[in-house]
Amino acid sequence: MPDWKQIVRRNLRVLAVCSPELTEELAGHLEDRYEALRCEGLPAEAAFQHTFGQIEGRCRVWLVIRFLQEDLMAGFIRKVALPGLLTSAAACFFYWALALDHIRPKVIWLVGGQLPLWWWCLLPICGALGALLSQRNSGSRLQRIAASLLPSAIMGSFILLIFVAGFTLSEMVNHYWWISARLESLGIVPPGFVVMPAAFSLLGAGIAEVSTRKFRRLA
Amino acid sequence: MASVNAQIKRGSAELAVLTLLAGQPLHGYEIAKQIEAQTGGVLRFDMASLYPMLHRLERKSWVRAEWQTLPNRRRRRCYRLTASGRKQIAPLRAQWRAFFQALQSVTGFQNA
Repeated sequence: MPDWKQIVRRNLRVLAVCSPELTEELAGHLEDRYEALRCEGLPAEAAFQHTFGQIEGRCRVWLVIRFLQEDLMAGFIRKVALPGLLTSAAACFFYWALALDHIRPKVIWLVGGQLPLWWWCLLPICGALGALLSQRNSGSRLQRIAASLLPSAIMGSFILLIFVAGFTLSEMVNHYWWISARLESLGIVPPGFVVMPAAFSLLGAGIAEVSTRKFRRLA
Repeated sequence: MASVNAQIKRGSAELAVLTLLAGQPLHGYEIAKQIEAQTGGVLRFDMASLYPMLHRLERKSWVRAEWQTLPNRRRRRCYRLTASGRKQIAPLRAQWRAFFQALQSVTGFQNA
């Protein structure tokens, strides 16, 4: 009999969806399936291939997606949306406060655009806030990450919408400079307001995760 | 044998599982096997559709899961219907009955 626990652990570790309990449960299912096929008279190799097919390739992808989806959507409002929106509000507040005080030290990047470096430096605080609020509402690890990344996701969707509308309009009015301006800002805005903020927020969420774990261990 | 569209299957899965568990507590593989046997293979659950759904039902407190050691000393996670889950069966049945009646009146097929 193959070691199904080991096989499940190895095949589903990609997205860390498998808790030890879930691993055992899924391995149990595969064990039963394998034995049933053997009882039906299938040779060991064929029975193994048939059983293994349930956690391989497309099936594995679906299994992981469905579990992640379930994990993310369970108590979404309380565990992801509300902490995420508070995180967004904090990020907006920091950006506004920096602009208000005329603190505008920026970095030059890519095609000559300016990006708000100090704002990025404050974003780990927002990321940590989102993760901690989600944790307070018993959010899972995935939900804590999602809560800290929600502001970047909102901003990303918004920017995408603006670009799509912008390009469409450029096509309609057929002005070359419009298109080149859009292309230029495409190199600045998404990295500056989506990718880098997401990375810094994630850093904050990671710090919060590690500190809480250490704090719990000490307590 | 006619295959059933995935969307329809997904919608009916909760009712099928709850009804099955109303009879006796079962573990995942048994649930999949019994549904397949009782429907003549028309409804077939793979792991990707069965387990996330069972965990969702557990989170809703419609079923309760507990580890049991079988005679062959293997541990299996058995699902048992809760009182709250039992209450869901009648409304779900009513919804499906209404759906099939509506469909019947449109398509004119019988024995829905």
